[in-house]
Amino acid sequence: MSEQYIEYIGIAASFLLAGGIAGAMVVLASTLGKKKPSTVKSEPFECGQKPFSVPGGKLAIKFYLTAILFILFDVELVFLYPWAVIYRTLGMEGLVKMGIFLGILMVGYVYAWDNGALKWQ
Amino acid sequence: MNLDIKNLALLVPELMLTGTALVLILAARRIQKSSVVATVTVLAALVAALAAGAMGWLFSGDVQTGFDGMITVDGYSQFFKVLIASALALATLLSVRRTHGVFVPDADSGAPARTTGSATSFISPRLRIDAEHARPAEYHALLLLASTGMMFAVSALDLLTLYLGLELMTLCSYILVGITVDRPTSNEAAIKYFLLGSFASALMLYGISLAYGVTGATGFEAIASAISATGTGTNPILLVAIGLLTAGLAFKIAAFPFHAWAPDAYQGASAPVAAFLATASKATGLAALGRVCLVAFESEAGVLSAVLAVLAGLSIIVGSIIAVSQSDMKRLLAYSSIAHAGYALLGFISGTPAGASATMTYAFLYVFMTMGAFAVVIALGERGEKLDSYQGLAAQRPGTAALMLLFLLSLTGIPPTAGFTAKFVVILSVVRSGHFALAVLAVVCSVVTAFVYLRVVVLMYMKEPQEPAPPRFPVAVYAALAVAALVTMIGGIFPNILAPWAIAPGL
Repeated sequence: MSEQYIEYIGIAASFLLAGGIAGAMVVLASTLGKKKPSTVKSEPFECGQKPFSVPGGKLAIKFYLTAILFILFDVELVFLYPWAVIYRTLGMEGLVKMGIFLGILMVGYVYAWDNGALKWQ
Repeated sequence: MNLDIKNLALLVPELMLTGTALVLILAARRIQKSSVVATVTVLAALVAALAAGAMGWLFSGDVQTGFDGMITVDGYSQFFKVLIASALALATLLSVRRTHGVFVPDADSGAPARTTGSATSFISPRLRIDAEHARPAEYHALLLLASTGMMFAVSALDLLTLYLGLELMTLCSYILVGITVDRPTSNEAAIKYFLLGSFASALMLYGISLAYGVTGATGFEAIASAISATGTGTNPILLVAIGLLTAGLAFKIAAFPFHAWAPDAYQGASAPVAAFLATASKATGLAALGRVCLVAFESEAGVLSAVLAVLAGLSIIVGSIIAVSQSDMKRLLAYSSIAHAGYALLGFISGTPAGASATMTYAFLYVFMTMGAFAVVIALGERGEKLDSYQGLAAQRPGTAALMLLFLLSLTGIPPTAGFTAKFVVILSVVRSGHFALAVLAVVCSVVTAFVYLRVVVLMYMKEPQEPAPPRFPVAVYAALAVAALVTMIGGIFPNILAPWAIAPGL
């Protein structure tokens, strides 16, 4: 094997181990385990969800607004962290640029506030 | 900091539009009058157009680049910026009535509703203010932001800046198409446009990543030098990258086979939005495609010209033939715009600066004549949407019918109009590059489209009126019609008037 692939051996090994252990558990459980089926147990299972229901149930639109607003602030934070780390190196220029960025972002925030997106009713 | 001010100075038109959009967003709840917002938007667009034109004139000698070679200000970018700003101004003028509410004609008597023609009478008792409609400030802010994205895209000198500009444009376009939320067709059109559009954007992004993988750069000039260093036509992955990029951009100009969204989106969107998409958005796609072809992948011209020839030929055939069977005016104009995308692409096939300036001329004149045709559709309100409703229009509104005749003749490409100049320059460019079959195809399909457009003329002039005369339309629509008609006539009478400004992009 050529030199450049040696470092990938570890990754390959962990893939094999993970697959092997998971596969072994599934196989062992289904061959060795006792089986006592009941109606509830044989339902297709997803944590706490009813297996059958009419799709397209209504979801309040305010959750959507909350999610959008979360993105607004999340993007802001993602930019603010690295900026804060090298704030001193950037100096005045960095401060002005960040001010412009936050200013534009705040327009969106003020718009949302102005239009009552922050009221939970 | 001095460097930044110089960089920002290159973006004066974009900053103008962005600033106006931000102010409108902030004041969205407080401005209810659409005439105020429209005036502000038109002024911003005019200032941006003037600034872009002045910068193009100032920097015509030496090309300016800014933001570490991400943005360029050259004759090519400024030509398209002026065009985009003009399309924005015209679309805004055409939106004046739409954003106010739905026009309700006199239902009981069938008589035309009375509205006076003065500038202050946009609100009349006959206009129902529709609460479901977006507020005028939001609508215009979206138009402004879409135009900003277009301007970034035409002056981008880097694939990522280009992508960013195009995304800003398309994201605003998705919302604009679906902005009449009370109309189910509008929602459907927005969903279709969004699904296909995001797919096309993903294709383009994939093409960008492959191009980066092969050349190690996203800047156009760096890509060009990397390709010429390794030799052309050798790397299949690069060809895939070019194919994907072309596909993504062909979607923006609605060229076959990436045209499927256009008829649905135009039909579902309100007419001013459809006009804006058909003109400014298409011009932007052409501008971006031109710069990508002529600057970034200049040395792959052989492959590109084959791909573009196929796209252009198929767009012309499909657009012309399917337009024949349309009964909805906006769908007809959509298929016409697909055919026109094909004609506009003809200039790029040669891969020469002369060919690129032929496409620029085509794009410029196409924007005004299409805007004019849409303006007539908008002016006639509900009646303008159905083809059959044009019966006997000449007897009821001779002026409107004459203007429609002018725009339709121009779209066909009949001599004294701008459409002839436009088709002449691109077909000449194709002939010079030796694609005679394509030139013949283009001329033959012109005859087919003549049937499409002249059918409307026959309806207008040779049939008896079936419906009551349309009401008078707002002054703003008159203004837009006048500008479009003026450019359509001047472009036909003085065919060389654009030549000094249509400067191809160079390295």
